[in-house]
Amino acid sequence: MSLRRFVHRKKKDADLAEEMESHLAHEVEANIGRGLSPEEAGRQARLKFGNPDSIRESVWRYRSLPWIEDAWRDLRFALRSLAKVPGFTAIAILVIAVGIGANTAVFSVINTVLLRPLTYPEPQSLVLLMNTGPQGTFPGANVPKFNIWHQQSSIFQFVAGYDTGGAGLNLTGGTDPEQVQGVHVTSDYFRLFGAPILAGRTFSPAEDSPHGGHVVVLSYALWKRRFGGDPNVVGTNIHMDGQPYLIVGVVGRGFVTESPADLWLPFQFDLTSQDMAHYFFTAARLRPGITPQMANAQLKLAADQYRRTYPGALGPQDGFSVTSLQEVMVGDARTSLLVLLGAVTFVLLIACANVANLLLIRATARKRELATRSALGAGRGHIIRQLLTESLVISLSGGFLGLILGMLGVRLLLAVSPGSIPRVGEDGSAVILDLNVLLFTFGVSVLTGILFGLIPAISASGSNLAAALNESSSRSGVGFRSGKIRSILVISEMALALVLVIGAALLIRTFMKLQAVDPGFDTHKVVTMAMSISGERFQNTAGVAQMIRDGAERLNTVPGVTTTAAACCLPLQGGFGLPFDIVGRPNGNNPSTGGGGYLPVSWSYFDVFRVPILRGRNFTVHDDGAAPGVVIINEAMAKQYWPDGDPLKDRMQIAPNAGPVFAEPPRQIIGVVGNTRDGGLNRDPAPTMYIPVAQMPDKETALNSRIAPLWWIVRTRVEPHTLVKSLTAALRDASGGLPVAHIRTMDEIVVVTTSRERFNMLLLTIFGSSALLMAAIGIYGLMAYSVQQRTQELGVRMALGAQASNIRNMVIRQGMVLAIIGVVLGIGGALWLTRFLASFLFGVQALDPLAFVATPVLLTAVALLAVWIPARRATRVSPMIALRFE
Amino acid sequence: MFRKETSAGDILQGTLDMLILRTLLTGPAHGHTIAQVIEHTSENSLEIEQGSLYPALHRLEDRSLLVSEWGVSDNNRKAKFYQITAKGRRHLTGQTIRWRQMTRAIGLILGERLD
Repeated sequence: MSLRRFVHRKKKDADLAEEMESHLAHEVEANIGRGLSPEEAGRQARLKFGNPDSIRESVWRYRSLPWIEDAWRDLRFALRSLAKVPGFTAIAILVIAVGIGANTAVFSVINTVLLRPLTYPEPQSLVLLMNTGPQGTFPGANVPKFNIWHQQSSIFQFVAGYDTGGAGLNLTGGTDPEQVQGVHVTSDYFRLFGAPILAGRTFSPAEDSPHGGHVVVLSYALWKRRFGGDPNVVGTNIHMDGQPYLIVGVVGRGFVTESPADLWLPFQFDLTSQDMAHYFFTAARLRPGITPQMANAQLKLAADQYRRTYPGALGPQDGFSVTSLQEVMVGDARTSLLVLLGAVTFVLLIACANVANLLLIRATARKRELATRSALGAGRGHIIRQLLTESLVISLSGGFLGLILGMLGVRLLLAVSPGSIPRVGEDGSAVILDLNVLLFTFGVSVLTGILFGLIPAISASGSNLAAALNESSSRSGVGFRSGKIRSILVISEMALALVLVIGAALLIRTFMKLQAVDPGFDTHKVVTMAMSISGERFQNTAGVAQMIRDGAERLNTVPGVTTTAAACCLPLQGGFGLPFDIVGRPNGNNPSTGGGGYLPVSWSYFDVFRVPILRGRNFTVHDDGAAPGVVIINEAMAKQYWPDGDPLKDRMQIAPNAGPVFAEPPRQIIGVVGNTRDGGLNRDPAPTMYIPVAQMPDKETALNSRIAPLWWIVRTRVEPHTLVKSLTAALRDASGGLPVAHIRTMDEIVVVTTSRERFNMLLLTIFGSSALLMAAIGIYGLMAYSVQQRTQELGVRMALGAQASNIRNMVIRQGMVLAIIGVVLGIGGALWLTRFLASFLFGVQALDPLAFVATPVLLTAVALLAVWIPARRATRVSPMIALRFE
Repeated sequence: MFRKETSAGDILQGTLDMLILRTLLTGPAHGHTIAQVIEHTSENSLEIEQGSLYPALHRLEDRSLLVSEWGVSDNNRKAKFYQITAKGRRHLTGQTIRWRQMTRAIGLILGERLD
């Protein structure tokens, strides 16, 4: 209504003018009719009518929306007045753009990882079943646990087991064999995750039982790639490792699992299995109205039942729980991202302080302009609104620029260093500009504009009108109040910058320490390759051992190869763990003597990685299925379990009570090797046992062939990448046509495992240095301005005999007082804030003395440099010119 | 009587609105006629500044109590004619009742005898 009035008011105004003219004409005519002369008639009419202009004005005003008009006027004025100072405007917009850009970049990652819900329907009711205990909470399941969880139908709507397709499958029968990720799932899996079925169906319970036959469900991507999206593919066979598999269904495009799957196979569990090793995950969908707390209470009872059914399988403090799937997926990336968000907020605050400072300086220069305007009737509110409009123009332009910078920056950053952040997709492709990011950037821009604009606006509008107009010169000194505000701003910039730089220093130190860590093995000139051994002939140990012998023999003939080994797992990439008993040693209260890493390796594993044999002997090619069982332990295990004794005299029973899969006679400990940091460079070496692959129990080999590929590890004399072609050819030759995948050098793996640290360090270093730069500019700007303002005073001082050095020292002293106050406050802040970094640090304390000494020194030095320039300028003031300055 | 400083008062403004609507009950009229009618029927005791009629007319039109149309007046001049709407009539009735009640109340307080 009022908006329509507003829009049409120009036309209405013309209408009104014409109408009033017509009225006057009528009145004049009537007056003439009464016998008045034409002039008198007109005069009388106008007298009686009143002032038409003021009537038009009052109607116009009532038709207008004052705030739109005022805002529009303010905006035009702001654009005009900013255009008059392009340098100032450009710097201010750029500073804000950098601050907002950094925030947009970090937020867009947070948006993707933490805020965006999982792509499954009703993701909030999806949970992962966890094991709880003194060692912590971790996922993982075996059939007995799966059974008891499956029975909890009062809390779970669906329960499904799945693995991550670790082993890979060899798609054969086409022109070229291809290694695909085949994820094993139980039959409820698709219903649990709400997968859309494009064609056919999912597994029936009969197909998901032992001897259920070879059936697969295809992913959309594989269906398109391999079968050109042919809907008649359902009911036909594909060949994997030489075996035909019946395609029963195709899953729709939208279904994307977190660990990528090309196809799905039924787990076909033997539900009477008593294997206690964890080799898959179990997810569940909570019934409507069931909270995780309620589920956990129910699972407490389930754990008691499990303890009674399988004595010794669960310690007295062990139990089960659920954790939301999203939380599990995000993991510890959450803290890391929130710390980065905190850091980037600091950068924005410094940017704001800087721009606020610029605005204060500008406001001083505009003192007379503002005073004149208020003398002409502009209220204080008007002036504040006008100045705020200017700062909003700056912040919104900066925000727009920042949005572009941020989205480009985050792309670049994630491409350079993905930082192993979950959920961001390949090279961060899932990080996109969506409404959340847009709203965030807009909100931050407005907030920033008010933040850096309000203080200068209030302080500028509050100046004494008469004093400002009467001031003989705009250069007679910095107003005390705005001078104080500027000092406070500079102090806070220094303090914030110090906190950031200390944080960056801690992370740089962490990264350097990580680089300096001795992993315990030689990573250079080692190349690794994964081979899926899912075929029928690898279901017993002898078959795998034979293939390893053939493969090693063939690889060793490739020119440039020094040694070759095969293993279940790669260092730094995680592996298996099993409990063990030391034969003849009492267990006390525990189910077994201890536990540790468990790595089946080929005989030359320690040679390839150059792990030293500290005691006893290495494996040989003769430690095979026919020879007595042997085991080699690492130094950490020897120290922990044989602090005084001799491990070489003892025998170990690996995986006691862990079910028939692991059943085997005790093994003789034959050697102790040096520690390797298998769990990651930042973890202390864990107790670990190594056994020959050729001595694994058959059932364990069969299980392994489904959950993990076999890794080939080759040490070369030359640059490893140059050999890849001949190595893969040699392996295909020796294995009867099996392809290899995931070809990476060990050095590359090291880089990947430290990528989170590299990512955090890189970001915080960027933030810290931009903060440092901005703080330096801030203190430089303040001192330069103050020197310029005081030219006259400095001239008088010099005329009265002050030495150049006195002047210089005075300026430096004044600048450095601010810097040092900032540094001291910053140290205080950092003492408190660095505790949030503690979990990202390695080999450095959160209160690292070096960082806490070096950083303040660095900051003080930078501040000194920034103050030095205006100080030197101050000494060049010629008294004569200075006194005639005005 | 309707001077600038008083015309801002709500009661008097409402009164002017009421007078305009009442005038238009007899049929459409343009501004000049309305002013004349108000003057004459009040026996010239309500001497309004004629111009102040127009903001009131436009406000009433905006509230859909009146509609307007350009036309030709008796003496062949272009003029804008106003006509009361149904909503305007209802408004006038309500306002008149309120006005009567108020004047009666004021009269009682002032001790006048009303019949």
